[in-house]
This record gives sequence, structure tokens and C-alpha cells, in this order.
Amino acid sequence: MAARSALPAAAGIGLRAPHLRQVQTERPRVAWFEVHSENFFAEGGPAPAALDRIRNDYPLSLHGVGMSLGSTDPLDREHLEKLRRLIVRTEPAVVSEHLCWSSVGGRHLNDLLPLPYTEEALVHVVSRVAEVQEALGRELAVENVSSYLAFAEATIPEWEFVAAVARRTGCKLLLDVNNIHVNATNHGFSAETYLEAIAPDAVVEIHLAGFDASGPCLIDTHGARVAPAVWELYRVAIARFGPRPTLIEWDVDIPAFEVLEEEAATAQSILVASHALAA
Amino acid sequence: MPSLRELQQRFAVALFADPGTAPAFAIAGAHRPAERIAIYRRTVFANYRNALGATYPVVQRLVGKPFFDAAVDAFVRAHPSRGGDLNVYGDAFGAFLAVYPPAGELPYLTDVARLEWAIDEANRAADATRSPDIVLGTLAIAPPERLPALRMRLEPSCRLVASEFPVLRIWQVNQAGYDGDDGVSLDDGPDHLLVRRDANGVALQRIAAADFAWLAALSARATLALAIDKAQGVAEAFDLGAALHAYIGNGTIAAVVDQG
Repeated sequence: MAARSALPAAAGIGLRAPHLRQVQTERPRVAWFEVHSENFFAEGGPAPAALDRIRNDYPLSLHGVGMSLGSTDPLDREHLEKLRRLIVRTEPAVVSEHLCWSSVGGRHLNDLLPLPYTEEALVHVVSRVAEVQEALGRELAVENVSSYLAFAEATIPEWEFVAAVARRTGCKLLLDVNNIHVNATNHGFSAETYLEAIAPDAVVEIHLAGFDASGPCLIDTHGARVAPAVWELYRVAIARFGPRPTLIEWDVDIPAFEVLEEEAATAQSILVASHALAA
Repeated sequence: MPSLRELQQRFAVALFADPGTAPAFAIAGAHRPAERIAIYRRTVFANYRNALGATYPVVQRLVGKPFFDAAVDAFVRAHPSRGGDLNVYGDAFGAFLAVYPPAGELPYLTDVARLEWAIDEANRAADATRSPDIVLGTLAIAPPERLPALRMRLEPSCRLVASEFPVLRIWQVNQAGYDGDDGVSLDDGPDHLLVRRDANGVALQRIAAADFAWLAALSARATLALAIDKAQGVAEAFDLGAALHAYIGNGTIAAVVDQG
């Protein structure tokens, strides 16, 4: 296994079940992979074995979808322990979770639900991120989520909330540029203002994905190619933050691996252009 | 102003409320708040349908997607998820189908679901660590007078599924890519199945009813003497020597434990 090292500032691909076998046998030229942590929580069997083989050949980012970071329920210690064991096993470059909540009153909704951006929620999330970083013994990267509603109680702009979580906890940020575009459209704010609020040093990874525009608001489906407007915003983000490890995510109607490679190549060309400008 | 916890509770209630119901919290700037909650409701239920569809592909195939999705929606309300890992949600789906009125005409559906859950669990179980030689060696050096009190541990992926219906045949003819004769006679049961994972993946093996009773007792930590009683209760002629040879030899029995 390659020693634990930072992700390269290059395009990676979110690896999902339909492509696991192909990647193990063909070992495509991809700079790094990210997986959903929970999909490899099994004690044994084919899933962890596959991840071990992939980790031998590629840098890895672990992306959690189930910790319910912003919930007012106690943190799930068993879930945290499974994640901790997976981290020990795979020595990932980045461990991330979502700035959202998924459960209340012991009931899990298993979705990335939005927080009301209030001072109370900020104080709560800050203490939870600290608790998770303590339990895992390492730095966490938190990701901004897309949302289809805003709470009337909100008093803090989303970008200030996200920036404050990083500032107050010392955690890193996984900036989802597609989510910023989706929320800017859905809630009527400036995506550029959002980017300007984020400290470049905090950003360790960027996510790109496709949305669905057929409903009453943009829906972050991860089921399409990255939209032109999101590529534009990504260029702005890279110009501000510098080249960052950038992931292509696709979670529903998952296409052939080659389509993901094409999307990654587009991201890579933008990264290369920014490297050239910086040189 | 409602607290963070109150807002989360009201959001959760709104997700499971009847479509069209306005949420009991204020949404900024949306003309139709119920529409915004409906987006989340669709996503949440789609997540569960997809997750259970991956775990229960044969059940889904037997009943068709619209029936399956409706059953999942009802299941989620009756047995809410309690954890953040959807890969391990849905163990009670088989039991739920037994009391789900629309499935009443398909009495074997519950057992097919139980089999699929067993396969799913076998796929996720810890890897086996001991070789048959070590287990046989432990047994060989046990003093004969201790044998009745010995207990045995099954390899971690082992699951035992019994049904009065021919669930193995039902499962086989409903695999993707199966193109043989797909006729099933429901009178071809009962089935006693040993489900376990080996180097080639999860395998389903039909075993004798007495062997099943013996392994089920051992798996419930019964002593060897009690397990033999259970097996002989099913078939007087249960052959302990043959059973030990077979199930230690193929790795099903992973350890012999003498608790003195």
C-alpha cells in the first residue's frame, strides 16, 4: 500500500459498485478514488477485500454519508467505531462527512437533510465536528450539501456558516461546487460570494456532479454530466483556491466507466490550465 | 423560535406525512412549502427502495417493481431505519411480508426474503480464519468423556434457512441470466439450506433435515449431546461421524470449544 499521503491535485473518480470489478482488473489511469465509507463497513467478504486491492494501487478518500453530523441525537458510537476501523485499515488521504443531519429521535431518514443556519445550529455542529475528530483521532473534512428549502429561522448565510465551522473547529472543507450552484439557484444568492467567503487553506477536496433541472427547483441527483454553469463556477473556484483534488460523482443511472473518465478528463484539463497559469 | 431539535422533529414528521400536507415549520421564500418537502420525501423513499431492491432482487422480481416499491414504503413506516448504514437496513423485511396483506397470496415470499437476507449477511460476515485440519486436530485430542459437553462454532458467514416451500429452486430460476426451465412446483418443499461464503462467493447448499437441526442447535451454542438429540428427533439414523466429517471438512464448523 502506498504510504498515506495527500491526494494529488488532480481529477479523481467516485468509485461505485458497478465499476468495482472493472477497476480491479483493468487498473485504469485515474489519479485517485473516493468511496462511500459505509459501503465498506463489512467485517469481511468481497467488499473490504476489493477496497484493499484498490488501495494498493491508488490514493483513497473516504466519504461518509451516514454519520448524521448535525443531528441533535447523540453521535452513533458504533458507526464511528466502524469508520475508525476502516480508516486504520485503508489509511485514506481524506476522511469526509456532510454538513447535514439525517436522524432524530432514534429514527434515521438516511438522507442529507439541511440544517437551519442559526447560531444554535452552528454551536451544535462545531461541538459535533470536534467530537468526531476526537473519536477518529484525525482531521475531518466537511462537505456543503445541496438543499431544496431554507428555514425561515435561518440568520446566517450558508457560506458564513460553512466558513465558521471550519474556522472554529480547525476541520477542513470538501467543497461541492455543484451544490453551491444548485443552492445559489434554488435560494437566489451569488455563488461567487459563497466562494469568496471560503478560506483557500481549508479546502482539501472539490466535488463535481450533475443535477436535474426538470422540477420546481434544481435537484442534486448525481445522475448526469456536470452542467456548463458548474464547469464555469469550478474554474472560478480553482482560480481562487488553486488546484485541488477534484472528484467526479455519479450515483444514479451510473454510466459506463469511460463516461466518468471523460468527465474527469475535463476537470483535469481545467486543473492543468491553472497549474500553467501559476507557473 | 423553535429549537434545532424541534425543527428536526418537525421535518421528520413532515417527511412521513400525507403528500400535500404543509410542514409544521416555516420555509423561507417558497410559494408551495409542501412541494419542497415532497422533493425530500421522494428522495428518502427512493433511497429505501433502491437499498432494499439491492438486497432483495428475487422478491422484487417475483412481485414486480410497483408492488415491491409499495411494500418497501409500508415497511419503512412500520420498521424505521435506526442507523446511518443502509447496507444493513431491512432484516425484518421478510417477517414484514408475512403480515403485509397484499402479499397474502404469495405464502413463500417471506421465506425467499429470509433467504436473500441470509445471503446478504453471508456476504458481509467476517472472513473465516481456521483450516479444517486445525478443527479436526482439536477434536482428535479431546478426551472421549468430554465429547458430549463440547460446543462448536460455525464459520462466521454460515446462515441456516428452512422453508416449507422449495425456496432454493424459486431463487435459482429467478436469477438474472437464468434461461432454463422456470417451472416451480410449490409441493417440492420443504427446503433446508445452508448458506455460506467461500472463496468463490456465497453458496447455497440443500442439506438433510437432521443435519440442519444439528447445525442449528450448534449454532445456538448447544452442546454436542443436545445437538445430537435435536438431529435424532428429526431422523433416528442421524450419523454423527459422517456429519462431523462433512461439516468440518468443508469449513462450516470453524472451532471446537471445550468449556470444561
